[in-house]
Amino acid sequence: MAYTERVIEHYERPRNVGSFGSEEAHVGTGVVGAPECGDVMKLQLKINPQTEVIEDAKFKTFGCGSAIASSSYVTELVKGKTVAEAGEIKNTQIVEELALPPVKIHCSVLAEDAIKAAVADWRGQGTTKKDAA
Amino acid sequence: MPTVVRCWRCQDEHIPQVFCPACEALQPLPPDIDYFTVFGLARDPVLDEQALANTYYDLSRQLHPDLHQTGTAEEQEASLQNTAVLNRAYRTLRDPVQRGQYWLELNGEQLGKENNKVPPDLALLVFEVQEQLAAVREAQSAGTDDARAGLKSELTQVWDDLDDRMQGLQQKLAANFSKWRQADDASDLLSGLKRVLSEMAYLRTLTRDVEKALSIF
Ligand code: FES
Ligand SMILES: [Zn+2]
Repeated sequence: MAYTERVIEHYERPRNVGSFGSEEAHVGTGVVGAPECGDVMKLQLKINPQTEVIEDAKFKTFGCGSAIASSSYVTELVKGKTVAEAGEIKNTQIVEELALPPVKIHCSVLAEDAIKAAVADWRGQGTTKKDAA
Repeated sequence: MPTVVRCWRCQDEHIPQVFCPACEALQPLPPDIDYFTVFGLARDPVLDEQALANTYYDLSRQLHPDLHQTGTAEEQEASLQNTAVLNRAYRTLRDPVQRGQYWLELNGEQLGKENNKVPPDLALLVFEVQEQLAAVREAQSAGTDDARAGLKSELTQVWDDLDDRMQGLQQKLAANFSKWRQADDASDLLSGLKRVLSEMAYLRTLTRDVEKALSIF
């Protein structure tokens, strides 16, 4: 199946690949997988605890080109947004941006789920960690 | 699926099976026969795989076209057709994941949308294993022999862990299934079964990746 130009662009030059060091605080990590293809995606958000603005994002994806492109695009999309705004991002937005065909929609769903999981992880780190900061 | 068929030789009526229970003539299996019935088994996603394999080899031998060369045209034809059906049935049933999915289909169900979520701990496990696999690929081209040997034993350990986990899931499937069979309203249990099955399918994909990586050492 042919990938669209935008997918190829992100696939060949993915943005923000990698992960934050384990010593870094205020990082929410989401790891999600798609059962139909076995692909997995890790998304990390570095969040300013005062403003709740996402200051940086990194990803690593083992999966198809569309999954890599979706996560790469998402890291760009979330930067500068508040956690609440990022939580509103829908996979349809990714589908439109990357012009994903119907069979690749689940790849974008994975990216949406990754944002939610990363945000939930950050929130779940609880008051203890945040108060200490 | 027809519940009974008639023997082409003695006209005995019986449920579809490879040999007529009355006259032992080879019977053509109906094309829409379900795979469990091919093996004379109850429709049950949990089965004894060793016994299945034994039955498969026995039936393959008895059906072998060489044995039926001197038979009637019906028997020759049935031996060919049944062999094809038998092989298809065995390929599906010997694998617990495919067997489970097939069983769901027989019950008018499928894994479907509600199971497109992977439990977080499993996603994490898959991610970690994929990172190890990536390291293996790198070491294959650039690493020292020592590094390669280390990775191989790490990967073997990973495989063992995955295998344990798979066995655990199979036990869970068996337990869920026997509950499902006893329950009146089983919709909850069915979704539990589906969850276990989709976890197994996901784990299976990963196990294959690990096996592929191990095979190049
Ligand atoms: S094919 Fe599964 S994430 Fe793209
Ligand atoms: Zn008969």
